Amino acid sequence: MEAVSAVRMKGIVKIYPDGTEALRGVDFDLTKGEIHGLLGENGAGKTTLAKILSGLLPLTAGEIYLNGRGLRFSGPWEALKEGIGMVYQHFALVRPLTAIQNILLGQEGGRVLSRLDVKDAEKQVVEIMEQSGLKVPLDAAVELLPIGVQQRVEILKLLYRRANILILDEPTSALTPVEVDALFEMLRQFKKEGKTVVFITHKLREVMDITDKITVLRKGKVAGVLPTAEATPEKLAELMVGTKSLPTASRSEKPFGEAVLSVEKLQVRNDIGGMAAKDLSFQVRSGEILGIAGVEGNGQTELLQALAGLRKIESGKVAINGKDIAGLGPRELFKMGLAFVPEDRRRLGLVLDFSVAENGILGMEDDKKYLGRLRQLLWTKIFQYTRRLIERFGILTPSVTTPAKYLSGGNQQRLVVGRELNKEPSLLLVAQPTRGLDVAATHFIRDLLIKMRDQGKAILLVSADLDEVMQLSDTMAVIYQGGFMKVAPAKELDRRTIGLMMGGVMPT
Amino acid sequence: MARPLGETALAIVVGLLVGAVIMLLWNYDPLKAYIALFRGAFGGVDQWASTLSMATPLILTGLTFLIGVKAGLFNIGAEGQVYLGTAGAVAASLFSLPPGVHLLVALLFSMIIGALWSLPAAILKATRGVHEVISTIMLNWIAVWLTRYLVNFPLVDAQRAEKTITVAPTSRFPVLVPGTELTLAIALSVVAAVVVYYFLWHTSLGYQFRAVGLNPEASRYAGISQLRIIILALVMGGMTAGLAGATQVVGRPPTWALYGTLANIINLGFNGLAVAMIGRTHPIGSIFAAIFFGGLYTGARQMQIPPPPSTLPYAEQLAEVVSGGRGAGVSIELIGAIQGVIVLAVAVPGALDLIRKYLRRRRGK
Repeated sequence: MEAVSAVRMKGIVKIYPDGTEALRGVDFDLTKGEIHGLLGENGAGKTTLAKILSGLLPLTAGEIYLNGRGLRFSGPWEALKEGIGMVYQHFALVRPLTAIQNILLGQEGGRVLSRLDVKDAEKQVVEIMEQSGLKVPLDAAVELLPIGVQQRVEILKLLYRRANILILDEPTSALTPVEVDALFEMLRQFKKEGKTVVFITHKLREVMDITDKITVLRKGKVAGVLPTAEATPEKLAELMVGTKSLPTASRSEKPFGEAVLSVEKLQVRNDIGGMAAKDLSFQVRSGEILGIAGVEGNGQTELLQALAGLRKIESGKVAINGKDIAGLGPRELFKMGLAFVPEDRRRLGLVLDFSVAENGILGMEDDKKYLGRLRQLLWTKIFQYTRRLIERFGILTPSVTTPAKYLSGGNQQRLVVGRELNKEPSLLLVAQPTRGLDVAATHFIRDLLIKMRDQGKAILLVSADLDEVMQLSDTMAVIYQGGFMKVAPAKELDRRTIGLMMGGVMPT
Repeated sequence: MARPLGETALAIVVGLLVGAVIMLLWNYDPLKAYIALFRGAFGGVDQWASTLSMATPLILTGLTFLIGVKAGLFNIGAEGQVYLGTAGAVAASLFSLPPGVHLLVALLFSMIIGALWSLPAAILKATRGVHEVISTIMLNWIAVWLTRYLVNFPLVDAQRAEKTITVAPTSRFPVLVPGTELTLAIALSVVAAVVVYYFLWHTSLGYQFRAVGLNPEASRYAGISQLRIIILALVMGGMTAGLAGATQVVGRPPTWALYGTLANIINLGFNGLAVAMIGRTHPIGSIFAAIFFGGLYTGARQMQIPPPPSTLPYAEQLAEVVSGGRGAGVSIELIGAIQGVIVLAVAVPGALDLIRKYLRRRRGK
């Protein structure tokens, strides 16, 4: 059978309004009837590329050809008219509506959906279900359906709209293994029917299992395109994370001190009840940075929340400076010497409408230092303290009363990190400390973490940026689906092995 | 600060213009009507007294709503809490106490009852996630009938069954301007607004209220208990609403009692929402918004007074309206419509604040 090109994307560039260069000249070729894997780390540009193809995002530069015709979409509906549809990682379903209502949503054809139309449409959907083998209870509210079935509703939505190029963004991330098998079965069926599938993932095994061809993205560029038959997990991992090794930042070579954080067989559940952290055991010692590498969504968030008193410890034991933390809240843990720089400074680290000074005391607003006899806030003292914070951490702000929302990302992060370090903690939890920051701010924060380590603090670092983890860590752990693949001194691990483990493959 | 003031000024102008158009459509003279309105609201000591007495409870119910907003809640339970708070203040007159102390006890009763009435909503929200709009609306209706029962049975005036017993003179606020409804209760309202302002911006608990209201997730990460803030915000709101009710019996001549129909306290809670929005959900803003609101209602009487004879030259007609001898003869029903239009227009900027805030919070998630 001759390979017929379905879609060609040429020289795609995408620069977000905030200046982030998500794609820097990407070529992507899709052959009709194939399952094409789109592989890459967080931030490599996979989802951005897919959203451009599905019409959700406008492109900054580049061209898209469909069957040789040049096209430009101004919205997903136009892509759908050409038969291109996408299932987003976070489903676009109206949760209280039934499956059939969700499938028909937006297809009312401009008039009020009459009962007759629904009956008609329902018949069509049932036909599609029978043909494709996708079975869904049409009259059940979507929110009551398991994730795997919700996903089928999403796919049915596209099939009903006659999509023949299906883009699936991390379709297996929330599925159980049985559901994954069913999904793969479905995808193979689609292929037989001549439909084309783009399968976005970071999981090496899946991409080896199901795809015909793989495009690997790294930092907004194509790192390689190869037929799956010629690929090995090792080769893919190398393409995904690169081979260059970075010099580790200069640091004192003092031996580590006592264990500040010790975790034994920790189990933590995620929001939908599954196990997010499975049997994790590790220690962080004074003067040590333990870096956890891994693709986001493998349990890091839940782990940190449990350690910061924000999520229930299902089983296992966590101790800070020898004291069990079970049942304690964030305030009590702060008092025991914990500080926490959460992963999203705008959503979790700051109250954006609060001033710099107000944010400077967030979490310490009931500290006697800043309170008078009536528990009134002593603003003069708070301003003085904030000015010291501004000076010490080089925060650029017009004044202490400027709302934090007017600060740049780098200065917002300096404010969060400064506030937390000012607590003089013995244990620091840091998540994604330099995400979205420019080079100067990134350097500043990384140097600061090293300095804190040299001063004898214990630091637990979680980052999706592999370079960062490798550069900063004394000890590294690789997390995959809630469990550690390995914990070892950073020196003993190379990028390729880490890349493999991040994708769930244990190197032999 | 300048921007909110400018927006509110613009909204007032728009409201007045729309009101003027309505009057023109029905063949009234808007100029005379507005002069009469102003004359009736602020034209002299008696008018000011009347306006301020109308503002007294509204400042307090405005505070109820804005405390909720600051903590991220949409608390519309003030109405029911006002009813029961009023009954509580009357109940204090079932026994006798020395002057002054008796007043304090009456106020305390109203605050405690208002707070208690907020508790079901607070507990439902904190433990079961029941939205406070739903629970407070339902509690409002329960309060209506509960208060009617209290007024008609335990607290009824044996001689005049249409109202409760008159509150004891020992539990009354001193009258400030004899012959008007203005009592020292206005001072209570103003002080309450200042206290709420100080609480929100100058205490650590107030800080936590605002933090939870602006970013619940970051507050959780900072270790602020959202449950505690929700409960406290609703309870504090219940206390100010209860006080608002008290001012209508122990702080308002000549009735000094609650009618069985609840006619003298109805809508005080809901009007508090409008007051809070007109005041841009700022406690000090609520004082001015309530006075504006009070003026709008007090001045309405003057608008109804028949206009000067149309045979006079226009300037002389206006002079008669300015002097207060004549009005604009606007029918009472239309005045209601005009008041509504003006309040709606003036509340728009504040309502937009709330909508923007809500959208920001949603987007944050």
